[in-house]
Amino acid sequence: MPASAPTHPVIPELIRLLGPDAVLTDPQELRVYECDGFPIAKGLPTAVIFPRDTVQVAQAVGIITRHNLQVIPRGSGTGLAGGAVAYGSGVIVCTSRMTRIESIDLDNRVAVVQAGVLNTALSDAILHSGLRFSPDPSSQRASTIGGNAATNAGGINTLKHGVTTNHVLGVEFVTAQGEIVQTRATGLYDGVGPDLPALLCGSEGILGILTRIWCRLVPIPRHFRTMYAVFNDSQAACRSVADVIAAGLVPASMEMMDGQMVRVVEEAFHYGFPTDAQALLLIEIDGVERTLDGQLQQVVSICKHNGACDIQHCSDPTRRAELWSARKRAFGAIGRLARSYCTQDACLPRSALAKAIKEITEIGRRFGITLSNVFHAGDGNVHPILLFDEDNPDEVQNTLRCSEEILEYCITLGGTITGEHGVGVEKLHLMPKLFSPQTLRTFTDIKTALDPGHHINDGKLIPSDTLHIELMQPATPRSPGGAMVIG
Amino acid sequence: MSTTALTYSQDIAELVRKSRETKTPLVDYGLAHRGLGHAPPNSHTAIQLTGGLIEHHVPDMTVRAHAGMKLGELQATLRENNQLLPIDADDDLSLGEILTHNVYGALRQGFGSVRDLVLGLSFIDGRGDDIAVGGRTVKNVAGLDVSRFMVGSLGQFGIVHTVTLRTSALPPQATWVELTGHDPGPFDALVRAALLTDANPQLVDCRYDAPRWVLRMGYLGKSAATAVQVRSLETLDDAHPDLHVTHTGHGDMRDLTRELSITRAWRRTAGALVKLVVPPNTTGRACRLLKEWSDSNHPLHIDALPPFGCVMTGGHLSAEQARSLDRVVRDVRRSLGGFAVWHARPGNDPSITPFSPEPSEMTVLRKLKHALDPDNLLNPGRML
Ligand SMILES: Cc1cc2nc3c(=O)[nH]c(=O)nc-3n(C[C@H](O)[C@H](O)[C@H](O)COP(=O)(O)OP(=O)(O)OC[C@H]3O[C@@H](n4cnc5c(N)ncnc54)[C@H](O)[C@@H]3O)c2cc1C
Repeated sequence: MPASAPTHPVIPELIRLLGPDAVLTDPQELRVYECDGFPIAKGLPTAVIFPRDTVQVAQAVGIITRHNLQVIPRGSGTGLAGGAVAYGSGVIVCTSRMTRIESIDLDNRVAVVQAGVLNTALSDAILHSGLRFSPDPSSQRASTIGGNAATNAGGINTLKHGVTTNHVLGVEFVTAQGEIVQTRATGLYDGVGPDLPALLCGSEGILGILTRIWCRLVPIPRHFRTMYAVFNDSQAACRSVADVIAAGLVPASMEMMDGQMVRVVEEAFHYGFPTDAQALLLIEIDGVERTLDGQLQQVVSICKHNGACDIQHCSDPTRRAELWSARKRAFGAIGRLARSYCTQDACLPRSALAKAIKEITEIGRRFGITLSNVFHAGDGNVHPILLFDEDNPDEVQNTLRCSEEILEYCITLGGTITGEHGVGVEKLHLMPKLFSPQTLRTFTDIKTALDPGHHINDGKLIPSDTLHIELMQPATPRSPGGAMVIG
Repeated sequence: MSTTALTYSQDIAELVRKSRETKTPLVDYGLAHRGLGHAPPNSHTAIQLTGGLIEHHVPDMTVRAHAGMKLGELQATLRENNQLLPIDADDDLSLGEILTHNVYGALRQGFGSVRDLVLGLSFIDGRGDDIAVGGRTVKNVAGLDVSRFMVGSLGQFGIVHTVTLRTSALPPQATWVELTGHDPGPFDALVRAALLTDANPQLVDCRYDAPRWVLRMGYLGKSAATAVQVRSLETLDDAHPDLHVTHTGHGDMRDLTRELSITRAWRRTAGALVKLVVPPNTTGRACRLLKEWSDSNHPLHIDALPPFGCVMTGGHLSAEQARSLDRVVRDVRRSLGGFAVWHARPGNDPSITPFSPEPSEMTVLRKLKHALDPDNLLNPGRML
């Protein structure tokens, strides 16, 4: 039982439905759920519940909405935009006990999983088959497939193999009215009428709670060449990326780290990267073995032509694993530089990458912010990482303003404010800069059609009339983070 | 009834607003999908979109075009820059028709369907407002993914007038191998095995070409690579004594496109045409069951995409024969799972249900239709 007595009348009802061990109300324990991977926006939920299946989710949603509380879907809370946080009041519906892989059909290359199954758990379960679930966010050991679908997560190999929505064949979800809706489960690779699973993917939990996902399984690439190219100039690295794409090559991944990131990773993990590099491109090609050396040579000559000063490549699986672990651990290494960091996530036309990286560095300098970059260069998806101290309100505000300027600049280049992390609450204020009032109204109309009372994760992804989260204004002069204006 | 040709968003928006006032539905079923879904109401304004290229960002490999642009015209423009849109559909179909009807074919195996290629689009909703979603970047999660939602929407949720798509590099060479057998059953296993080897094709389809079944697997790229893949396929084929390589074709992309269009040419004139989607590992069985009907009733064209369980069948059937085929299609669907959509029914026969079974998400789709087209003006009743 929770340490403190239940206060809100919803709590006894939820306990009756789910049992006491599935309802968290102790304020100390609730603190774990006050934010996700975006530490600037915080809010304490009324309770956190842990249903085990779809029916429990549907019944719980019925109870929560009857009490006129917000329902906040949550997977592992690794989201980077504040989407899984309860602002004001609300009950977090956490899928962490919905971890059943319900069926694996290798012949038809589909697995049906509960939403709380961790991304790597599925691929691990089918490793023997030569198939995998392809989406590979760097958080894949921790994040859930439901969360990946709800954010349409990308990853390192999405350049060639696609983002989460390309690998979701169907979904089951619970609406605000507690209805259970199943989409496209009969046809697997096709359906009748508009693509409802695609609408649910990337909807950040505002249309309903995903409870089951039909995951497409694809062959694991068997042959690779992995290389890195070191540059004395980040512009040259960006130009190489654009040139590789323009040459019609489709590497599986093309990732970039700036000089600062290379040094941090090298100091933390000792992979043998040169610490005087200004940029490092990590590139992988997969496909038919016989063709790989030819493609690799093409990429190498493009990098050389753009001034790469050191190029190393390998086909050895151990070294390959090391190189990719360097990339995946880059975020963790950032912790050595600052107490808090804010990862931005703009996406640009790839030909604009060089220009954008230059200007982003300049914007960081103007704001006096230390800025590192590790990103999915092949997708044009930049991740400037802004370092700050979350206990210093001025630094928080400065970070938010700097982020805003970076994203606004990216919009002017034909880019978007988020390539994979989502809007959450973090980028809400930028939505009117990207979309017309009519388009925003359409998003709202779609939400209202599925959630007439705006009970599910309101105030995320699209600006809301009822829940307004204003991060750009501190609540009080000395409080970190943003103000939450509820009304 | 005359058809109004439109290209620009302002004109479409104006027409929608007028139609709202006069309560006259707007109907666009496309060129090759006129028989798909319930028939339009008697009184309506027929529209047809036209248009051309807006911008081709060559180095970014993205293209923006009016939805009314014909696929063939787009391909010709892209070809000048060694690119293509990897969708196999007829050249005279517009991009909008391909998108709203989710047209895909044998190339889906290597390149995905239009759902995987669309980056953004603009449409006029049922109020006459111009709505722009997505963008021109290859990844984008800002806002709801209405671009992909529109794929297969049958023109019921908005009139798509502009689309942004990702393109691919034009492969220097195409090689396709045809394997034949007396039964389509073994095709599924062979395709499954190929997916896990170097023989993993970028193109797969199969068809009944009397008196035998033909499975076609294609490889696109440099000749050194495709040669390796073909050899790998031949090794796999050795394990299937009942299948024989009977033809290997080489050419450029235009040659391949011609081959693919010949295979599906029958569909444009068929009085009866139905798409059946079953679990992929039962494609061969579905084909076999349809062939049995064909043998004892009326000759059918049958072609299929084994990796996706999609079977297209039909021909010149009388209304009675079409009803009988419908019963078989239902039986196949019931025993194997999946769904069926009629693309053409003789005399628009109302006793043949255009969609079966009704999708389980129908209630939600109705709500979304009402949100985007509150007066039910756009292709009303076609599906919803
Ligand atoms: C170190 C690190 C690296 C990362 N790398 C990447 C990366 O490479 N690519 C990438 O795209 N992202 C990355 N992320 C962001 C994050 O991991 C992804 O967004 C991930 O998909 C979130 O999954 P989750 O289970 O943690 O979801 P949560 O954080 O719990 O939720 C995210 C959003 O989805 C909603 N949601 C969650 N579950 C459901 C459900 N079942 N039904 C409906 N809505 C739901 C929530 O309401 C919220 O809006 C990274 C994060 C970290 C901390």
